[in-house]
Amino acid sequence: MRPAASVVLLTTSTGFGFGLLAWLGAYSALGLLPQQGRGLLGAGIAVALLFTSTGLIASMFHLERKERAWRAFTQWRTSWLSREGIAAVLVYPVAIAFGVAFWRGAALPGTRVLGAATVVASLGTVYCTAMIYASLKPIRQWHNAHTAPDYLLYAVFSGAVLFAVVRTAALGSPGAVASAAAAAAAAAALLAKRAYWRHIDGQAPLATLAGAIGLPKGIEARPLDAPHFTENFILRQMGFAIARRHAAKLRSLALIIGFALPLALSVLGEFAPAPLAATALALACAALGLAVERWLFFAEATHVSALYYGRRI
Amino acid sequence: MSTLPERPQGAKRLGLVIDLDTCVGCHACAVNCKEWNTGGEAGILPDYDKYGPEPDGVWFNRIHSYETDAGGCSRTVNFPRSCLHCENPLCVTVCPTGASYKRAEDGIVLVDTDKCIGCQLCAWACPYGARELDEKAGVMRKCTLCVDRIYNESLPQEERVPACVASCPARARHFGDLADPDSEVSKLVKERGGADLLPGLGYQPTNKYLPPRRATIPTAPAKPAASGATGIGAALLGLLDRALSR
Amino acid sequence: MAATGQSQPKRTVARTTCYMCACRCGIKVHLEDGRLRYIEGNRDHPVNRGVLCGKGSAGIMTAISPARLSTPLKRTGPRGSGAFEAISWEEAMRIATERLAAIRASDPGRLALYTGRDQSQSLTGHFARMFGTVNYAAHGGFCSVNMAAAGLYSLGGAFWEFGEPDWEHARLFLLFGVSEDHDSNPLKLGLGRLKERGAKILSINPVRTGYSAIADEFLAITPGTDGLLVLALIHCLLEAGRIDAQFLIRYTNAHHLVIDAPGEGGHGLIARDAAGHALCFDRASGELREAHSPGIDPALLGTFELPDGRRARPAFALLAERYADPQYAPEAVAARCGIEAATIRRIAAEIAEVAFNHPVVLDQPWTDTAGRRHAVMTGRPVAIHAMRGVSAHSNGFHTCRAIHVLQMLLGAVDTPGSWRYKSPYPKPIPGGPPPGRPRVPGGPLDAPPLGFPRGPEDLLVDAAGEALRLDRAFSWEAPLAVHGLMHMAIARAYEAGPQGIDTLFLFMSNMAWNSAMNPGETTRMLSECDAQGNYRIPFVIVADAFSSETVAYADLVLPDTTYLERYDCISLLDRPIGSAHGPADAIRIPVLRPDRAVRPFQDVLIDLAGRLGLPDFADEQGRPLYSSYADYMIRHQRRPGIGPLAGFRGADGRAIGKGEPNPRQLERYVENGSFWRHELPAEQLYFKHANRAYLAGAKAMGLIDDDAQIVLQLYCETLQRFRLAAEGHVAPRPPERLRERIARFFDPLPIWYVPLEEAMTDRATYPLHAITQRPMAMYHSWGSHNAWLRQILPENRLYLHRDLAARLGICDEDWVWVRSRSGSLRCRARTMSGVNRDTVWTWNAIGKRTGAWALAHAAPEFRRGFLLNHVISEYLPQEGGAAPQSNSDPVTGQAAWFDLTVSLEPCAAGTPDKTSPRWSANPLHVRRTAEAVR
Repeated sequence: MRPAASVVLLTTSTGFGFGLLAWLGAYSALGLLPQQGRGLLGAGIAVALLFTSTGLIASMFHLERKERAWRAFTQWRTSWLSREGIAAVLVYPVAIAFGVAFWRGAALPGTRVLGAATVVASLGTVYCTAMIYASLKPIRQWHNAHTAPDYLLYAVFSGAVLFAVVRTAALGSPGAVASAAAAAAAAAALLAKRAYWRHIDGQAPLATLAGAIGLPKGIEARPLDAPHFTENFILRQMGFAIARRHAAKLRSLALIIGFALPLALSVLGEFAPAPLAATALALACAALGLAVERWLFFAEATHVSALYYGRRI
Repeated sequence: MSTLPERPQGAKRLGLVIDLDTCVGCHACAVNCKEWNTGGEAGILPDYDKYGPEPDGVWFNRIHSYETDAGGCSRTVNFPRSCLHCENPLCVTVCPTGASYKRAEDGIVLVDTDKCIGCQLCAWACPYGARELDEKAGVMRKCTLCVDRIYNESLPQEERVPACVASCPARARHFGDLADPDSEVSKLVKERGGADLLPGLGYQPTNKYLPPRRATIPTAPAKPAASGATGIGAALLGLLDRALSR
Repeated sequence: MAATGQSQPKRTVARTTCYMCACRCGIKVHLEDGRLRYIEGNRDHPVNRGVLCGKGSAGIMTAISPARLSTPLKRTGPRGSGAFEAISWEEAMRIATERLAAIRASDPGRLALYTGRDQSQSLTGHFARMFGTVNYAAHGGFCSVNMAAAGLYSLGGAFWEFGEPDWEHARLFLLFGVSEDHDSNPLKLGLGRLKERGAKILSINPVRTGYSAIADEFLAITPGTDGLLVLALIHCLLEAGRIDAQFLIRYTNAHHLVIDAPGEGGHGLIARDAAGHALCFDRASGELREAHSPGIDPALLGTFELPDGRRARPAFALLAERYADPQYAPEAVAARCGIEAATIRRIAAEIAEVAFNHPVVLDQPWTDTAGRRHAVMTGRPVAIHAMRGVSAHSNGFHTCRAIHVLQMLLGAVDTPGSWRYKSPYPKPIPGGPPPGRPRVPGGPLDAPPLGFPRGPEDLLVDAAGEALRLDRAFSWEAPLAVHGLMHMAIARAYEAGPQGIDTLFLFMSNMAWNSAMNPGETTRMLSECDAQGNYRIPFVIVADAFSSETVAYADLVLPDTTYLERYDCISLLDRPIGSAHGPADAIRIPVLRPDRAVRPFQDVLIDLAGRLGLPDFADEQGRPLYSSYADYMIRHQRRPGIGPLAGFRGADGRAIGKGEPNPRQLERYVENGSFWRHELPAEQLYFKHANRAYLAGAKAMGLIDDDAQIVLQLYCETLQRFRLAAEGHVAPRPPERLRERIARFFDPLPIWYVPLEEAMTDRATYPLHAITQRPMAMYHSWGSHNAWLRQILPENRLYLHRDLAARLGICDEDWVWVRSRSGSLRCRARTMSGVNRDTVWTWNAIGKRTGAWALAHAAPEFRRGFLLNHVISEYLPQEGGAAPQSNSDPVTGQAAWFDLTVSLEPCAAGTPDKTSPRWSANPLHVRRTAEAVR
């Protein structure tokens, strides 16, 4: 699948934003954010919404007819994309209400409930995003049990890294809990990513060419001539392929930069002389690594329709 | 509506049956489809770079050629690919705007291009590669089963078939109601072992493909050449010995 | 967004005839406010019955192609530069008229008129005839004249426009050398019908493209060996005694006695009585009898004495003796053909099984020309079709003859289930008058310029036996060149220089590019000057609708309309759309009004003929007789009662075939969907060559002049006449250098020989055969610039067998060098398994010259498209000191496109991503002056 910049940016950026919101909501719901963390929470919500908005605006670039985007809110009964849109929009009032409530009293029961609601709305949105991909049967690399939990995990991980930065900026240090959380999330994300790659590498193709053209079993087919000589929409979108060697390099890069370094830096952040630099570096690494990871998520995905053009799926 | 319709009892399943045994791969159906659905320059199936280095365009129907090996025997299979008007079309349910829909009365899958936002998710959801983005209008296009022909009362009854079926020179394309077991298309599917494409994915395509077959002429096993036969065969002499008159 | 109040568009439908290829399907053209909206097949039309191919449907884009020429042009730069000045039609006509009038006043033969597949040969040929030039031909010589000539000299009909398989009854269909070819939609309809009926389709072709893809069996034959395969099948049938002897003696000349007097003038000719009737030996009476008298028992074997004491043998005896020889046994030919002997034997058995164990019997009485009443029509359901793949070899004439002999032996000629004549065929063999020649110097020809020689006396040669025609058709170099040798026209004009022809007038033919063998040489010849700085070919007029590669080499360009903007006539006088069910013809009508300064070529030619005062085009006072082609179609009479259109004749429009001109004829055609057809009664549908009712009816309609039986020529006596001349027994004699060749190739029974170029080439150096195929969705350069069709094939590949590719280390999309004795080209390869292991092939007419056809300079047609033509030569290798022969069939002059042999090697790394050879871009640069632009 063609890794469009808009979609890579959308999913990674909203991951950071919704992840951060989830952490803010969770800490608050669990009572781990004292009232004096108001500044932190305000900044956190602002940063989170900045990330989610960046992602959502980027997603608009994926639409050909932006002026009709409102229509995407109508088909929540069947469409994960529609649900994602609605959920994403719902996050904003919830998050703002949560922020206002927190401002008025961190320990108020309503605040904690709104914190929990923020967690649900944020991660719910991430889940919707993930399900857009996970529900696509023609793409085996997406339509599997890994996609949704992985997306949630990456959001949690990227949110944790981002939280550490915000907390450090607001309070001078990431704090042991946040550091531990970020490190743990990084480790989990790393393991999940490796498990995902093992899974897709071991998958059988969804179909054979002969099966795709309806031939009886036992017959093999080879492509002879494509319908048209030049690339078309289907090939540009679904026929994107990445060389195995190239992919292997990028995978290593994503693992090291996206997960291993943030893990190390998160641990370091708590003890480093310049915690802001360490957490910021962890964030930069995670952002870059996750962008690479997300790019690969698309680039390595194969669509069964590319079979018709003789591509490997 | 992206929600799949309740299909009433007795609802039609209009679709195509494509005979891979007969398709010569001439692209007639594909071009006539393009023509019907485009109408010259003002139409809806755009072309890009018409006379330039990368000529490309939107086609509802594209004709692939493959070679197969079966039982040590190779043959060329031409394969027209277009929307299969599935019973379980993920392309419809993923649509966030309701632009993609399946008709309750005949099962045709259509795009309301006035609602389409061009998110292309439906194209991703289609395993058959049947949906193509109109990069000029920014909306998704797909085979309509010539819904503007098959119900068009200004056309004579015989012409109320999709353009690809009307134009197919080898008559390899058949149109009809696959829900009706007595329809010509249903009978063809039954007799010839019509197959679903990628049945494992669960889309339940309406269109069916008839597999290639091989006609043979049984003969008695060939006799080896008569040893040292240099002249005219004895059988021939016997034949010519009979009177050939009148 | 439609503004409210705007009226509904005005929708109209016009029925006319397609011209996106040569098949002439009926189309319905939908217009909205006069603009093209949709083209579909006409369901009522006899040719396509409503279907339409991809080319036909893409006509809508051809009608708006930017490659359309828009104004007459006069060359201003050097030839080939593309520099022109736009001129008015009046000036263009003045230039053409002055030039042609001067030629006609001195020596009309100095005009050479060559047309492509223009479908108005009855007009263009008549123009040439009245102008008085023998130098006229259409594209047949480089297309399929072998097929046409062999058929017309053997059956009085042939494949494609002359005949068709009986799709309704055939049980076994043999398809030789046909990928996508004419008549394309009827063939596809027919193949679909065979499939429905479960008949077996056997394709014999080096390449499995097009129709071969759906064949039940495919034999990847070595190019040029089809004739050998057919003779091996004949060998098997003879060996097994599986022939239809009854058919042979009734309908062929198998039993005609052939004089056996070696060294005498009569040797090999058919013994005749004083009245000229062929003789046979009647076993019942033990006497020689007129061969087609009823109630006799003719001998097919034996040796008999003629009244003059000479010996004679039935033609069949000669045939049986020849093909029973072990050299034609499957085991002897298998390796050469690339087909296993057991397969050949099985195919022969299948043919015999179907023909003799499963005859088709129609409950339809009929009467033959001998007066026998038959209660039923019994047919041999083995149908055969052959085209370009068999034709385009230098042994193609004999290969086609071999196929016809096979048909005759099976009794599978115009019977239920077999190949059938398309009306107006059969015609008396050989199919028409001999080629015309000027009756008086400078006057019109006494017959159409293309004709059918009956013997050496009909050749167009001078006292020394050398050609009178520019292309050497009807000379000893190509005696039966019944379609001319268009592929040699430019080369021969160049050779002769300004002393030869003055004006080369080309219509609708891309002679400087994909219709030329060796376009590089051809364009050089067109643009080369002599020592005085004059072009060796003094003047070139090109009439075409599009800016093809050839247009840049014209001195004067006459822009034609597209097929939707003019009248046309698909006439019984040319090659009509008749079928086995009866004669038919058709017209085209203008559906669109031209939006540029173009005129229909036929109007221009009639205008020119009128200005020149040609007989039949101008009256005694030199006043033009016809105002337009439409006017000519209605009023012209070739013979009393016979005009371009056969339908709706006579004052009341009821006469068919023959009748007075009908002023309302075109209206009647338009009302009828722009065609006319006559359905033959069931009694006349088969055995037309000997069907008394059919022949009488055909004569009444003016299709034939004589209703006598058309005796099928198993043995071709005409060929023997040429051979006798070569052997010195009759005059005129061929020039010394050609005697051996004539004696060898003018064998009255089919022979097989290694194609000439192949035989003269070092096969160790060039071990592979190279051929082209026609893509289904394109028709030469007519279609390949079309905006939709070029999305399908904007570039081509060289295809080769996977095993061969593995041996040579070539992978898909690799760049390779193809080398032949006459050149090299670089292209990209693609592998497949449906191809003969020693053959490479590509699609034809995809590669273009940069700048032509109004395509962008980076177009794939220029960068990666290629023509195999670049490594083909129009000349055979030179032998000794003699001038090289043309690369043609020695009997008919058919261009031997498919005799090419090549070598193949992968390109070195770092080779540029472009095909080679390449030429400089030469797009048209038109200077427009105010006066020229209307």
